[in-house]
This record gives sequence, C-alpha cells and structure tokens, in this order.
Amino acid sequence: MTKTSPLLDLDEVALTLPSTAGPVEILRGASLAVAPGERVAIVGPSGSGKSSLISVAAGLERPTAGRVRLFGQDLSALDEDGRARLRRGRAALVFQAFHLLPNMTAEENVAAPLEIAGRPDAAEAARDWLGRVGLGHRRGHYPHQLSGGEQQRTALARALAVRPGLLFADEPTGNLDERTAAEVARLMFELLAETGAALVMVTHDSSLAARADRRLLMQGGRLQAA
Amino acid sequence: MTSLSLRYARRELRAGAKGFRVFLACIALGVAAIAAAGSTAEAFRHGLASRSREILGGDLSVTLRGRRFTDQERAAFASLGPSTDTVRVNAMAQAPGGARRLVEVRGVDARFPLAGAVTVSGAPSLAAALAAPGPPGAAVEQALLDRLGLKLGDTVMLGEVPFAIRAVLLDEPDRLAGGFEMGPRVMASREVLERTGLISPGGLFVETIRIALPAGADAVAAGEALQKGFPDSGFRVRDRNDAAAGLRELIGRLEYFLAFIGLAALLAGGLGVNGAVSSYLEARKPSIAVLKALGAEGPLVRNVFLIRIAALTAAGISLGLAGGAATPFLLGALFRDRLEVPALFGVYPWPLIKAAVFGALAAAAFSLAPLGRARATPPSSLFRRDLTGPLTLGPESLLAGLAALGLAGVAVATAPTPLVAAGMVAATAAAWGLLWLLGRGAAALAGRLRGATRGALRLGLANLAGPASAARTAAPSIGLGVALLTVVLLLQAALLAKVKEAAPDAAPALVLTNVTPADGPALDAAIAPLIGGITPDRYRRMPFASGRIVGVRGGPIEPEQVAPEGRWAFDRDINLTLIDSAPPDANLVAGRWWPAGYDGPPMLMIDDDIAAAAKLRPGDAVTLSVLGRELEARIAGVRKVEFGRFGASFALILNPSALAGAELTQVVLIKASAVQAGAVQRLLARRFPAANVFDVREQLEKAGELLDQLALAVRGAAAVVAVSGLLVLGGAVAATAERRTREAAILKVLGAARSQALAATVVEYGSVGLIAAATGVLLGTAAAWPVVRFAFDFEWRFDWSVLTVLLPATVTLTAVAGALASIPALLSRPAPVLRRE
Repeated sequence: MTKTSPLLDLDEVALTLPSTAGPVEILRGASLAVAPGERVAIVGPSGSGKSSLISVAAGLERPTAGRVRLFGQDLSALDEDGRARLRRGRAALVFQAFHLLPNMTAEENVAAPLEIAGRPDAAEAARDWLGRVGLGHRRGHYPHQLSGGEQQRTALARALAVRPGLLFADEPTGNLDERTAAEVARLMFELLAETGAALVMVTHDSSLAARADRRLLMQGGRLQAA
Repeated sequence: MTSLSLRYARRELRAGAKGFRVFLACIALGVAAIAAAGSTAEAFRHGLASRSREILGGDLSVTLRGRRFTDQERAAFASLGPSTDTVRVNAMAQAPGGARRLVEVRGVDARFPLAGAVTVSGAPSLAAALAAPGPPGAAVEQALLDRLGLKLGDTVMLGEVPFAIRAVLLDEPDRLAGGFEMGPRVMASREVLERTGLISPGGLFVETIRIALPAGADAVAAGEALQKGFPDSGFRVRDRNDAAAGLRELIGRLEYFLAFIGLAALLAGGLGVNGAVSSYLEARKPSIAVLKALGAEGPLVRNVFLIRIAALTAAGISLGLAGGAATPFLLGALFRDRLEVPALFGVYPWPLIKAAVFGALAAAAFSLAPLGRARATPPSSLFRRDLTGPLTLGPESLLAGLAALGLAGVAVATAPTPLVAAGMVAATAAAWGLLWLLGRGAAALAGRLRGATRGALRLGLANLAGPASAARTAAPSIGLGVALLTVVLLLQAALLAKVKEAAPDAAPALVLTNVTPADGPALDAAIAPLIGGITPDRYRRMPFASGRIVGVRGGPIEPEQVAPEGRWAFDRDINLTLIDSAPPDANLVAGRWWPAGYDGPPMLMIDDDIAAAAKLRPGDAVTLSVLGRELEARIAGVRKVEFGRFGASFALILNPSALAGAELTQVVLIKASAVQAGAVQRLLARRFPAANVFDVREQLEKAGELLDQLALAVRGAAAVVAVSGLLVLGGAVAATAERRTREAAILKVLGAARSQALAATVVEYGSVGLIAAATGVLLGTAAAWPVVRFAFDFEWRFDWSVLTVLLPATVTLTAVAGALASIPALLSRPAPVLRRE
C-alpha cells in the first residue's frame, strides 16, 4: 500500500440477508474509498443500510457481492479470525450502544484491545487514555456504574488507545442528550486530530456530519454525495 | 490456553454464579447421588472387610451337608490351629402349650466363637446360659418367645429333648455369613443337640468347623490346600476373604443401581446445563462480538467462556462431592442402631473420583456444543441481535460427542455386569433422545394449534412454540424422571403382585421336610382327609437332598466360569429330588424324560437357566457332590422350572436309582386353605413331631413387607431424577424471565389482568407437564414390560396408579412450579420495565 492508496476501498458492495419473510437486500452496490486521515460522514434514513455498511467495511460481516479492501488487504481472502487480526491495533469501532464489556472495569475495557494486540504496556496506556477523556477518577468503575456519556467516552478511549489508522463510528452520539453528545463529538474530533486517524461515521446528527471532510448519503442501499 | 484467556475469564467470573444456579444444582445433584451411592457402599465394604474374621467366625470355615466329618478330616483341621465345631439344623420348637414354630437350631461347642463374641441378655454369657445346672440350656431369639408366648426360664421342646430358655440371643459375630433363615434362631450345646435325634445321617443338617490360623498364616493357601487334600469330600472351604460374599455382591449391585439413577439425574440435568450455558452465552453475545470487533480471535473468546464454565463445573462437582461424601455419615447417624451390616463410615476417595469424572464428562457433553457457538458468533451480531452463531461441527461438538461416549463408557466399565449396564445406558440414551425429539415436536405442534385458539390459551401455546420453549428443554428432562419412576413403579407392582397374589395362589401353603421314608405312607393317609384327598395337584411327597455342581463335561467347574445369571447354582448347595416318570409339570424344553423304572447310569434333569449359563445340553455330563460323595450324571433333559410354585420346582432332578440305597428324607408339598393348613399343623404336632413345617404364606407376607420398604427407598432415589427435571424447568423459566417480564408489561398496557397472564403461564407449563408425563409414562412402560416378562418371567401387570397418580401429579407440579417461577415477572410494574427498553 502506498501513501496515497485508500485505507478503505469498497467496490460495488452488496449485502443480502435472509429473513423469515424472504431475502432482504440491504446494500446494492455501495462504493467508497477513504484516504488516510480523511473523515467521512454517512447520513441517511433509518433502515437504509448505514450500519450494515460499517459492519461490512470493518470486516465484521462478509458482503454478498463486491469487494472490500481494508489497509490494502482484500477481506474476501481472509476468514473471520484473519479479519480480526487485520483489525487488531489498526481499525477501531465506536457504537451507538457503547458495547463496553460489562464484567470489566473502565480501565480494563480500554486495555482490552491493547492486550489482545499483545501490548505489554496495556494498563498504563489505558490509564493514560482514560485521563485524556476525563475519566481518570472512574477507572475502577464498571460500565453499569457510569453514565451514558461516560460510557461513550470510555468507548472512545478504548477505540483510540490503539492509535488506529481508521475509526468506524456508528451513531456515536445517538444515545446521548444534546449537551453530552456535543461534548463527546468535540472530544472525538480532538483525539482524531491528535492521532491522525481516518474516520468513517454514520450519523443522523447533521451538525456532527458537518464536521466531516466529506458527507455521503445512503439511499436504497447505495452511496451518493449528500 | 493463553494468559489473556485466563485473565479475561477471571474478569468474567466476577459475575459469580448468577444465571448458573440451575447449572450448579444439576451438576451437584447428579454428582451427589453418584458419590453418595459409592461412598455408602464403600463404607459397608470396608465395614465387612474389617470384620471379615468375625463374620466367618475364624480364618477358615469348612462346611458339610448331610454327613459328619471323618476322623481323618478332623485331624487335618486340628493340625491347622484351634477350631470350633457347630451343627445347624431346622427343627420344630414346641412350647408346653403345644404351639409350634420352625426354628434354626445351632449346636455349638465350648470354644465357640473363635472370633468376636455372642451377645445375650438374661444371662452373663452364652457359655453361662448353656452350661447352667439343670435341664440343658438354650439361648433363643426374642421372635420365638413372642411367637410361642414364652419367657426366660420356660421350657421348649426341640426334637425329643426339653431345653430351658436361659438367655435371649441378641447377636452372633458370624450371623451375616449364615444366609437365608427359615425361622428364629436357637443356640444350644452341640453335645445336647446330638441327643435330640435331629442330627441323623442323610438329614438336612449342616456341620461347620471354623479354624483360627496362626498369626501371619495365608488363609487362602491354607483353604486351597485343604480342599485339594480331600478332593472327594464334598465339603466347602471358605476363607475370611470370602466372608459374606453374597452380601458384598448385593451391595455392589445396589450401588450400581443407585449410581445409575445419579447418572440419569445428570442426563436429565444435562438440558439444564445446556440451557444455562446457552442462555448465558446469548446474554453475553454483545461482549463476544465486541471482543471480536476489538481483534480477538474465535478460540480466545471460546477459551474465556470455557474457563468460566470449567470453574463453575468444578464448583458444582465440589458441592456434589461434599453432599455425597456427607451422606453416609448422615445415614450412619440416623440408622446406626438399626444397621445389621457393619459399616466403617469415612471419606473414600475412589467413589468421589468416579462421581467427579461422571460430573465432568456430563458437563462437557452438554456445555461444549453451545460454547462452540461462542467461537462462531460473528461480530456483526452487534448490529443484529437475532444473529446466532451457527451450531457447526467444530472441535467443540466433536469433544462434546466424545465426552458423551466417555460418560457411557465409564458407566458400562464400572458396572458389575457390563452387558446389562450397556443395555441400561443405551435404553436411557435412546429414551432421552426420543423425549428430546418429542419435545421439539410438541413445540412445533403448539405453533400450529395456536391459530385455532384465543386468549390465554393462545398466549400459552405461543410461548410453548417460541424460541425459548420449555417443551424443548424442561419436558425431556422431566419426562426422563417420570420414565424412571414409571419403570420403578411397574417393576414394584409386578413383584408385589407376584408375592402377594400370584405366589399364594400358585405356591404350596405348607412345605414339610425331615419326613422319613418310613413315615411317608402313614403321613399320606393321615393328611388325605384333611385336604380333601391326595391328588397330584394338591399333595406331593418326594425324596429330598441337596447337592452342588462341581464339574461339567468331565472337568471341574468354578462359579467364575459361569454366566452371572446362573452362578447361584454353582457356588452353593442346591435342592434336588428323585422322580421316576415325568410329572405333569415336567415342562421339558430339550431332551426327554427317562423311561419309567429306568435303572441305568445316573441321568439328570436340569433347569434351563442353569443349563444356559453353563452352556449345557442334553447328553453333557454333570458331576454332583451329593451326600458327601461325587456322582456323575448325564443330562437327559432341560426343564423350564417355575420356582416357588407347587410341583416339581427343583433345579435338579435325578432318576431314583442314581441314589439307590441312600436313606433320603422326604419333602411334602401341600396346597391347602388356611383352615386346612391349620388342621394339618395340628396333626403333625400330634403324630409326626419330627417333621419340620415351613409356612409359605407367612414367609410371603414377610417378603411383601420387605419389598414395600425396599420399593420406598428405590422410589425415593428415582425421584432424584424428577427433581433434576424440575430444576431444568426452573432454569427454563429463569432463562425467559426478562422476556416474560416485558411480555407481561405489554399485556398489562394492553389491558390484560394478571390473572390472564397467569392463566397463559399455567397453560404453557401444564402442557409441558402433560408432554413430559405422557411420554415418560409411555417410555417407562415400554422399558418395564420386557424386564417383567422376560427378565423376571412374571405376568405383566399394569399399575394404574402410574396413570391416576403419577401423570396428574406431574402435570400439576410442573404447572404450579412454572407459574410460581413466573410470578416475579407477572408482579412487576409495567412502567419501569418499558422504560428499560
């Protein structure tokens, strides 16, 4: 991969899922290329396939058709564990529902991807990142002891602690009140600027989308300029 | 297993046993049952072993029937060490008022007992009771005093000698080695017993010499040398290691039966284990997906949960082992005074190891497959909660299959009779599989039927058809418990019917022994008017002897060479008779009866089960030890003998000339009403006092009572499996608690009353109970029928209480338990629940 090659390259990606009422076409030839450091926002109505696009792009799910290249690697050539290894330390995700590990403390949650990547300084780095998101004093707390905003800040720290090249964010402020959402958005863009990570973000929040370099609209399973 | 897996598993363990209570209970219950059975049996085995010398009454015992030891034999015994000589004979004890009772009299010498002590009350010691001045003394069991209305100091006639009752016999050290007793025991001096006329040549007495070997002597070698030194003597030598061999075998069989019930409980609880792991992993699906999204590979995620399940399994096993190890102590504390078999209560490692292995294998068999789902759960399930990892044929499923095979293998390998155990394990596994399939079928049927219903019934059927249906989880487990209870109830019904109804009809009312051939015709003539005439269907008089099979086809045979089901005929003396021409109940299945008046080389009729066990056919030679000598006879025919019935119910029948010249006593079988039997008893007391009378009805009543007690214990043990099934039901309810709470909240918002939601729950769990009970009763009946018909060879008798009690009780219990477990969900207020959404 050269410096100018895209970190993420989706080419005519389709996703059809089975259901009891028959197959549902979710993505119908979506294409997207994301350059290093670029911030892309994807907007669109509910059910248009935005979250599915993130799932396919991050290698959490195989597309039914089309090609996905992440960090220059064709994901179709990798099995699930291979895709997990590719994400490890290079790609990170933030979810609308936070998805912190409930039996781990805030610090352990942040340390988890570092530990999985085999980093010996996982605990120190986790403490450092919790401090950066303003939760140094809550590191021993479990997710259920944290507010929604605190949980999302922890999730942000967990995602960025590995210093990923690419962050996938699925409605990162969707579960938060306006004030907390603004605070989390500010923090996320600050940290992205600091780490230089690229961003692929799905959101309904137009002010958040406005902060991206590029905005795309997902409609009918395809991407187009917003 | 990496340190990262261990670290994450430790974090998972912070959640404690939440959601795993049913898992823990299912494992602990099964392990406890197996450990308790093994530990209790081991306590008895150690107890027997620790007192083997007392039980045998010495280091060696030499037993001879129907003749006395020769001087040469006695000299050989005396050369080995101090010995004691006892004679045992059945006789009628008669009170001064004329009341009579068959007793077992033992004549002992002054050195008795060589090991242990005889306990008596009413006299300082047995020796003091027997040697007191005045008429000869006797020590008798309290049962005889009660039966004949006697007290200490009274006189009782044994044969022609009056004995003064000077002590109540409480216990003898070698009582357990004695075997089945025909009546209360009486102990007297051997010298005096010789004078009663009861010990006559060819009579049914048993003489036993017990020997104390010098310290350090090899009892086994000494016994073998003794047997070899007198190859044709016909006596039986046992060493202290053989003491109570039959009892040890019984303990082994009971242990296996109870452990098998424990195994069935583990199997029934298996669905609880499976359900608990599946529910847990379903709840942890977001965490699994997050770990994968963070870059964790499938095996790492699987190992995290594998370690947690393993830790919980270890906890369940530990709880079970603690309960199982404590059970013998508890039983000992409760029943110490009533235990007739010596027990050494302690913590024995082997039964606990065995139970732990069973528990671990069961946990692996039922939890590894769902763990495979943890490995296969895709990270995309973060976006779609309904995505379930496919149940693929991965290493986890393979290991689960191997664990299931291992479970069956260990169950068979540790059984006293592996073939029977293999049948039991296969039948249980097949029943379980069938119940599981029927459960799934019932869920599908509920789905089809709900369209035609409405209201609470429709909601109940919808839940029954739903993804978390208890029909698929709890119904098979409860069904397995019901099936086992059905088998136990039906076997018990068949046995009780046999003992209480069929046997009293078919068996003789009275059996007379010790009738001399000279008395025979006079006895016939005296009894004929009392029972309405002598016909072959109500009166038979036959010569009677006992003998032992010591060889077949010209060579010696040891009991170990014979199939277990027929071994009883080769390791002890069995009764035989002599009959000239074929009786009406000959029941020949192979060969033919000898011609009337046949006086050629000895010929033999043999029971078909004994023949099958030793692979004997007509024409084969059988060597018998009879009346102290060996006799070779050829098998003329194989008979189907119905023991306990009136008629020629003898395992062995010889042609009369085979024992020509022997003065055999006779046995008389009489079918009579209770009134007629009473008249016969009075006649015998008056005119034939030497004849022993065995009252069959009385013994059958006793056997019925014993069977009732035993059946109660076995039913209790089988109920453990049903408890396991109810635990699984609890687990199934708990697994759906969150969904039920939401459902109840929505129903309330829509205007439904709690009673309507409760009615739906009762429909749902009542249906689960009905499915479990109906299939359990059907399968249990199908399993019991061949056992009753072919293994027991009894008439089939269906116990309707299975349908009238077990079935409704299961339905009610399941419905009530399900409804009770659902009450928290039904009571929750809708607003907070819906706010959580």
